[in-house]
Amino acid sequence: MTACSAACLPACVSSVWFVFPRSRTELDERPRPLSACLSRRGAASPCGGNRSHRPVEPRRRSAMLTRVKSAVANFMGGMMAGGNNGDHPGGSDLPLKYPYSRPEFLGLSPDEIECSADHVARPILILKETRRLPWSTGYAEVINAGKSTLNEDQACCEVLVVKRRPAGCSTPNRTSEDLTFHYWALFDGHAGSGAAVVAARLLHHHVALHLQEVMEILCSPGLLPPTCLGEEAASLRGAAGAPGSPSTPPTRFFTEKKVSHESLVIGAIENAFKDMDVQIEKEKSVYNISGGCTALVVVYLLGKLYVGNAGDSRAIIVRAGEVIPMSAEFTPESERQRLQFLAYMQPHLLGNEFTHLEFPRRVQRKEVGKRMLYRDFTMSGWAYKTIEDDDLKFPLIYGEGKKARVLATIGVTRGLGDHNLKVHDSNIYIKPFLSCCPEVRVYPLAQCEHGADDVLVLGTDGLWDVLSNQEVAEAVTCFLTNCDPDDQHRYTMAAQDLIMRARGVLKDRGWRIPNDRLGSGDDISVFIIPLAYGNKQS
Amino acid sequence: MAYAYLFKYIIIGDTGVGKSCLLLQFTDKRFQPVHDLTIGVEFGARMITIDGKQIKLQIWDTAGQESFRSITRSYYRGAAGALLVYDITRRDTFNHLTTWLEDARQHSNSNMVIMLIGNKSDLESRREVKKEEGEAFAREHGLIFMETSAKTASNVEEAFINTAKEIYEKIQEGVFDINNEANGIKIGPQHPTTNSTLSSSQGSHQAGGGCC
Ligand SMILES: Nc1nc2c(ncn2[C@@H]2O[C@H](COP(=O)(O)OP(=O)(O)O)[C@@H](O)[C@H]2O)c(=O)[nH]1
Ligand SMILES: [Mg+2]
Repeated sequence: MTACSAACLPACVSSVWFVFPRSRTELDERPRPLSACLSRRGAASPCGGNRSHRPVEPRRRSAMLTRVKSAVANFMGGMMAGGNNGDHPGGSDLPLKYPYSRPEFLGLSPDEIECSADHVARPILILKETRRLPWSTGYAEVINAGKSTLNEDQACCEVLVVKRRPAGCSTPNRTSEDLTFHYWALFDGHAGSGAAVVAARLLHHHVALHLQEVMEILCSPGLLPPTCLGEEAASLRGAAGAPGSPSTPPTRFFTEKKVSHESLVIGAIENAFKDMDVQIEKEKSVYNISGGCTALVVVYLLGKLYVGNAGDSRAIIVRAGEVIPMSAEFTPESERQRLQFLAYMQPHLLGNEFTHLEFPRRVQRKEVGKRMLYRDFTMSGWAYKTIEDDDLKFPLIYGEGKKARVLATIGVTRGLGDHNLKVHDSNIYIKPFLSCCPEVRVYPLAQCEHGADDVLVLGTDGLWDVLSNQEVAEAVTCFLTNCDPDDQHRYTMAAQDLIMRARGVLKDRGWRIPNDRLGSGDDISVFIIPLAYGNKQS
Repeated sequence: MAYAYLFKYIIIGDTGVGKSCLLLQFTDKRFQPVHDLTIGVEFGARMITIDGKQIKLQIWDTAGQESFRSITRSYYRGAAGALLVYDITRRDTFNHLTTWLEDARQHSNSNMVIMLIGNKSDLESRREVKKEEGEAFAREHGLIFMETSAKTASNVEEAFINTAKEIYEKIQEGVFDINNEANGIKIGPQHPTTNSTLSSSQGSHQAGGGCC
């Protein structure tokens, strides 16, 4: 209901050219206390030494947990008391742009948010019975087992209506319809919740702005996007006009690339990510926007699903029980060659402390002069080189799998924010190596038939760390076939079931899932989007 | 508001016995006859005073359906008190108490204070479970007992507050290790600051409107 309100608004508010689902006043929020982040996601110390940012060992865990818990209590207590304790290390005197919160569509009060931040019982939050998301989308989330005080995942689900620009900008006599798009997004924050909170509030507005720029073209499916907008009127009329119309497009003497409507939408999403990142960077000077975040967004527009991903969240379609991957993760390992190439081209970014080459392990001083396996940005395979002094530096990319890090600091290579993130105890910035650019994949939803159990599953890495695509597909399919197909809440129940499977239950030796596998101690958030609703829409 | 202690409660019992209504009556002082089915877990909170000390109660209201049992079980952990509720007009809800109690004992810490509640005491004409039966069950299993009505608010305050008093006494006796967060007790923030401008502004940001 809340989320759909945008769809009903434009008729009564014709002066707006596109509708913000919430009022603009939200943009100036008052300061709120935010507790310190006790551990940085994916943070490890350079040189693998005994520095404080090492992942917490199991033995130290309970002590850590206690500290985390009391930090929650203090933060929450402070929040409830309305006081700014302001004594957190690494904090900022600047006001928060938005207060920490849980997704708006959950409709939680501050008390409920406080209750939900329980790292011991880890309650699974779901969409309430009284609430509906567009397409009956299901949603569930759970907080981490203590790695950070707050749940650093964020989510957003909206229906937005893009209206034509104010008159005067474009051909006034063309009356194009409004453009409605559906939007779902997950953000996974690290080193603080600030960037994720801001992105969850604002990224869809950037998407809307960029779609607005091309909406007239998008709304004319029979016409290819004009190459140059100055000639737009002529070419539009020429193509659509009566035969023998005097305004036939001028003959061209060079070949022109044909650009599809679809790629205009992709471009809009990509540029929205870029603008969001720039906005976070700019506003850092006036607001405290902590950390960075990954972003996974889904846009449904004119019969197609666009899935944009920057980071290590994941989207899969489950259709008739079969998995169709809709995203790929961006990690130090998957982006090694891009990162190495950047460091090779701009060695100063490594601050004389890192080498862009990769070795199977740290090189030891006594190995100088010997020949060792390595690979450069030009290689996917391995070769031998003679070890020099320079090779003793810490590798730009180090570690395997979930432990792989860029500059010994961060385990994800795309996302928003992180402009202030530096290598521990140094002046080396991480940001140049991070890209805010998403990979956008398209699914022609309207061209495919979908049953009630065909869904798009979005999850943050907490889910995918412990469950494979296949396991998720089987779990969702099995759950949905066992519930009433008319139950509007079945997708939320299925999301809750997925979270339960990934979180597991707390045993003596931590969170466990069946077969004594380790459950996820991370924040986990899941959307389950039924695709059949898209078919009804178009 | 600053508090000296925070106690976590969990409300359990069959579907329809009035768990959500009891919570709403306690936190909001109102009765809403048609209540949405609780799916998963919902939360409420209220400040009370015991022995001159401000105590914040954080209350977890769980779904009673069997299908949610595996999920709600994990919520016993870290609860200092449990309200185990049956409906005096439905004998089956009384018969299921043993199962609920076993579940609670198995998944909670051993010090958890359990209050047995026979709800809907306003429906005397439809009573199926005698008050003496409730008392006997409570005595046999070492629980405190009360009959309540979420509708008329009879004994609702008392049920929540008496549970808190029992927990408070256990703390005084040193039974509870208040530094172990798995016991469902937190000590309040040490230096509560008062900034009235800020705290009043926070109310307006409250999402969903429902005060808990
Ligand atoms: N007469 C009466 N009805 C009650 C009382 N408490 C709850 N109810 C009704 O019992 C039904 C179930 O209540 P609810 O709180 O949703 O039960 P829950 O499933 O245990 O959370 C609702 O229709 C309420 O109106 C009570 O004390 N007296
Ligand atoms: Mg209920």
